[in-house]
Amino acid sequence: MEILKVEKLCKVYGTGEARVEALKHVSFSMQKGEFGAVVGVSGSGKSTLLNCIGGLDEADSGKVFLNGRNIFEMGENERTIFRRQNIGFIFQSFHLIPELTVEQNIIFPLLLDYRKPDQNRVEEILKVLGLANRRKHLPGQLSGGQQQRVAIGRALITRPALVLADEPTGNLDSQSSRDVMELLCKASRYYQQTVLMITHNMNLTVSADRVFCVADGELTELVSPSHAKDSGLSESQDGELAGFESQGGQDKEPAGIDGREKGGAAE
Amino acid sequence: MKHYLDLIKISAKQHRKQNRMTRLCIVLAVALVSTIFGMADMEMRSQMIQAVRSDGSWHAGFVMEEEQGELLKERPEVEHTARYGVLNYRLSDGYQIEGVETVICGFDKEFLEMFPAAEMTEGELPRTRDEAVLNESAKTRLKVQVGSTIELLIPQGEAKRYHITGIVKDTALEAEHDAFGMFLNMEEFSFLRSMEDGPNQEELFYVQFRPFCNIQKAIREISIQFGLKPEQVRQNAKVLMLMFQSRDPYLMQFYCVAAILAVLVMLAGIFMITASMNTNIARRTEFFGMMRCLGATRKQVVRFVRREAASWCRTAIPAGAAAGIVVVWMLCWMLRFLSPGLFEGLPVFGVSFPGIAAGIAVGFSTVLLAARSPAKKAAKVSPLTAVSGNAGTIQAVKRAAHTRIFKVDTALGIHHASGSKKNFFLVAGSFAFSIILFLSFSTAIDFMHQAITPLRPSAPDISIYREDTANQIPAELAGQIEGYPGVKRAFGRGYAEFTDAESGRKISVISYDEQQFRWAKKSLIEGDLEDAISGKGVLSVYREGSMRTAGSRTQIFIDGKSRELSVAGILGDVPYMYSSKNTGDAMETMICPEEIFRELTGETGYTVLDVQLQKDASDAQVQAIRKAMEQACGHSVSFSDKRIGNREARGASYSMSVFLYGFLAVIAMIAFFNIINCISMSVSARMREYGAMRAIGMTVRQVVRMVFGETMTYTAFGVFCGCAAGLPLNKMLFESLVTSRWGEAWNLPGWEILVIVAVMLCSVCLSVMGPAKRIKKMTVVDTITRE
Repeated sequence: MEILKVEKLCKVYGTGEARVEALKHVSFSMQKGEFGAVVGVSGSGKSTLLNCIGGLDEADSGKVFLNGRNIFEMGENERTIFRRQNIGFIFQSFHLIPELTVEQNIIFPLLLDYRKPDQNRVEEILKVLGLANRRKHLPGQLSGGQQQRVAIGRALITRPALVLADEPTGNLDSQSSRDVMELLCKASRYYQQTVLMITHNMNLTVSADRVFCVADGELTELVSPSHAKDSGLSESQDGELAGFESQGGQDKEPAGIDGREKGGAAE
Repeated sequence: MKHYLDLIKISAKQHRKQNRMTRLCIVLAVALVSTIFGMADMEMRSQMIQAVRSDGSWHAGFVMEEEQGELLKERPEVEHTARYGVLNYRLSDGYQIEGVETVICGFDKEFLEMFPAAEMTEGELPRTRDEAVLNESAKTRLKVQVGSTIELLIPQGEAKRYHITGIVKDTALEAEHDAFGMFLNMEEFSFLRSMEDGPNQEELFYVQFRPFCNIQKAIREISIQFGLKPEQVRQNAKVLMLMFQSRDPYLMQFYCVAAILAVLVMLAGIFMITASMNTNIARRTEFFGMMRCLGATRKQVVRFVRREAASWCRTAIPAGAAAGIVVVWMLCWMLRFLSPGLFEGLPVFGVSFPGIAAGIAVGFSTVLLAARSPAKKAAKVSPLTAVSGNAGTIQAVKRAAHTRIFKVDTALGIHHASGSKKNFFLVAGSFAFSIILFLSFSTAIDFMHQAITPLRPSAPDISIYREDTANQIPAELAGQIEGYPGVKRAFGRGYAEFTDAESGRKISVISYDEQQFRWAKKSLIEGDLEDAISGKGVLSVYREGSMRTAGSRTQIFIDGKSRELSVAGILGDVPYMYSSKNTGDAMETMICPEEIFRELTGETGYTVLDVQLQKDASDAQVQAIRKAMEQACGHSVSFSDKRIGNREARGASYSMSVFLYGFLAVIAMIAFFNIINCISMSVSARMREYGAMRAIGMTVRQVVRMVFGETMTYTAFGVFCGCAAGLPLNKMLFESLVTSRWGEAWNLPGWEILVIVAVMLCSVCLSVMGPAKRIKKMTVVDTITRE
C-alpha cells in the first residue's frame, strides 16, 4: 500500500549568483511499513527534502501525497493539524519541550489535539523505549540518548503513517545510536509505520529497506547499502561519509556524558 | 578586534533586535522617572508662579518697630527686606477718596519686587510725602492720570492732597471689593499711622532669605532676638511649602507622601530594567557558556556583562531623559495653551534638571546593579552547557507544567511565566508596580478635588449686588448688559425672606432663571428640575435633619398671609447661602423660578446680577458694564470684579489637573509599554522553542494561546499583588492627604482600579498581537535550525 508519493519536487534557494537548486524534480514513493534511508554529503538537499515532505517547508513546485492527500494543497492550519496526526518527526537535537515531563512530552501531539491519551498505549511506548522509570523526569534530567528516545516516543504516539527522522543519531554515542536504530526498525517492522531517515552514517543504512542518495538536489535510489559505497560515497572507519562539513558539532553531547563512547557526527 | 571586550560591539550588531528591547526598557524606565520628577518640578514651578502672583515672593513677615527692622536687615541670612503697612484694610475706617473707601498702603520700593501682582503700569513710586500711587480701578473711576492731584479724606477729618506719580495694577482683593488703593511712601504712611490708635494698623517687615538658608531656624532666631510673639510672625505658607521649608505638620505629612511616591516611581523604574536585563542575559546562557568554554574566566564574563550593560546606558539613558523632557514640554505647552495669561512664566522649552538627574541616576545605577545578578548567573554557566543542544532552556526548568488542569497550550503558557520564579516576580512585580503607582497617585486627584475648588459653571466674573439684599436692580439691566460686547451671559437673582408656617423659622428664597436651574442639575438629589423650571414647585436645599422631600408641600407666611408651596425637588447645595441676621446661622434656603418669586414678593428686580464675560473681554468693556450699572442704579449697588480671583483659582486647578492627570497618563502609558515590551522579549527568547512546537504540530492559534496564557499569568498575578499592596497604600495616603484635613472617609477606589486594569488588559491583548504576527510569519525550518 502506497503511503508516500513525491512527484517532481523542486526547491530553489536564493537568486542570481547565490541561486541554489536544493531539489531538482525529485520523485519517489514509499509503501506502508517500508524503512527508507537518505544519504548524501552536507548541503546536498537531504534536510530540504525531509522538511518539504513533512510540510515544514514549502516546495517551489511538485506534489507530496501522504495517504493520498497532497499536503501542499492544504492551508497552513490544516497542514499543521494533518502533520501532527499523520507525521512523526525526530530531530537531531531532539527539540523536546523542556517544561514537560517524559510522559507529557510523549503525549504532547495528542494534547495538542485536546485528546485524552490511551494510557495502555503510553505504557507500551514507555516500556518499549525503556523510559518507564523515567516518566516523571524532565528533559534536562536525561542523557542525550534518553532524550532522543523520548522524541521517538513522541513521534510514534499518534501512530503516524510516516515517521521522518533527521539525523536521529547525530548527537548520540554509538550505543544510544544502536538503541535508536532498533526502535526505528521496530516502528517500521512491528508497528508497520513508514520511516524515512536522513543519515551520514552508512552503517545505519544496513537496517533500511531502501536507500536513497541525494547529490546536488537530485535523488537516486541505490539498490542496496553496499551500492552506496560504489556510487562514490566513500566511508570512513566508523561508517561516516567522508567529505562533509560538520555543522552540528557544537550541539553534540560531550563524550562520556552518560559514560559511553562518542557516536557519529552531526549535520 | 584587539580586546575580548570588543566582542560586545560585534555581539551587539548580531543581536540588535533583542538588545533594542532591553534598551527600550531602559529608555522607558528613565523616561518614567525623569518625566514624573520633571513634571513634579514643573508643577512646583507653576504653583510657585501662582503663589508668588497671589501672595508675593516674601518668605516671612515680622511686625516690628523701625529700629528693629534696621537690625533685621543686618542679619546674614536676610537677602531683602521691605517695609509694608496698611490702613483701612477692612474698608470701614473712613479713608475716602470722593466718598469711596480707600486702602492706604505704605511700602519700600523692594516691596514691588516681592509682590509682582502689585506691578506698576505707569509712572514711578512716590518719593516725597505729598506724592501717591493709585490702583488702576481708582484711576479709571476717578478719571485721573499721572500728574493729577487727588484729595484723601482721613478719619480725623482732615483732607490731604497728593500728586499722583504712578499707577499700579489692581490686586484680586481690591478688584473684588471694588476698592481704591492708594500707595504712599513710608514716611507719609508712618505719619498717617501715627495718627491711628487702632490695633489693626500694623507695620510689617517682609523678608526674603538667602538661598539654601534654613528658614524655620532663621525665623526662630529672629523671634528670639527681637522678642516677637507668634502673632507677630507671618509665614508665606505656600511659597515655603514649595521650597520644602515649611514645618507645618500637615505639610510634613504631605512631604512624606511625596517621598513615598518618589520612591515608588524609582522602584518601578528599577523593576522594569531588572526584569528586562534578566531576560536578556538568561536568553544568552549558551553564549556565555561558550565564552567560558573558550577559556574566559568568571571575572571576565562578569566584566563583559557589565560593560555591555554600560554600553546600553550610553544611548538608552540620554534617549529616556530626552523623552522625559519632551513629555514635560508637551505638558507645559498644554498649560500655556489652556491658560496663556497664567502660565506665561512657565518656560516653553524648560528643562527640569532634578528630573533628568533622577532619571539618569535611576537608569545608570539600576542597570549596573541589575547587571550584577545576571552577570554572576552568566559567569556560573558551565562550559558543558554550551556544547549540549538544549542550553539555556532545558537546564533552567525545574518543574513540569500542569497539563491536567489546563489545556496543554495554556498550561505551557502559564509555565513559561511561572517557570523561573525570579523572572516571574520581576515581570509580575513590574506590572504590580504600575497598579501601585496608579492607585497611589490617584489619591493626589482626591486631594486636588478637595484642596482646589474648581470654579462652578455659574461662577460670575462680575457681580453687581445690593448689600441690603433689596430687589432693586432692574431685571432689564440683565438683558441690556447681555447685549454688550465681551459679555457672555448676565443673570440675576432675587432674594426674599419668609416664615415657615410650621416651625416659625425664617426661610430665604432665591429666584433662579432657567440657566441657573440647569447649572443646579448636578446638585439635584431628588425630584424633577423641569417641574421647578415650569413653575410647578420650588427646590428645597438640603439641610441636616430636614424632613422635606420631593412632592411634599409647605406653608409659608408672606406679609401675614399663608401660602402653600409644592416642593418639586431637593438640591444638595447651592453656591449662595444667606445667614440669619439675628443668629448668624445659615437659613433654610429655597429656590424658585422668577415667576413664582414675583408672585410671592410682587417685586420684579434682582438683588444680585451676575455677569460672565467672554475670554477676551477687555477692561474697557468691564467699565462699560459698570457705567450701565451706575446709570441704572446709581451708587446704591456694589460692583465686584472677580476676574483676578477666578483666574487664580482656575490656574491652580488647571495646573494641578494637567500635572496629576498627566502623572496618571504617564503611569498608564508606562504600564502599557512595559507589558508589550516584556511579552515581546519573552517571545523572542522562546522563538526556537515555538519553532519546535510548530514542527511537532502546534498551530499558530495554539502558540498564540500559549503566549496569551503567559501574559495573563503575569497580569493576573500583577493585578492581584498590585491591588493587595496598592489598596492599603491608597488608603494610607488618602487618610494622610484627605481624611486628616477634610474628614472625608476612604472608599474603595473602584474607578481607578477599573481604569488601570482595563489599561492592562488592553495592553495584554495588544502585546499578544505583535508576537502573534511574528509567529505567523515564522518559518519553522529556519527557526529550529537557527543558532
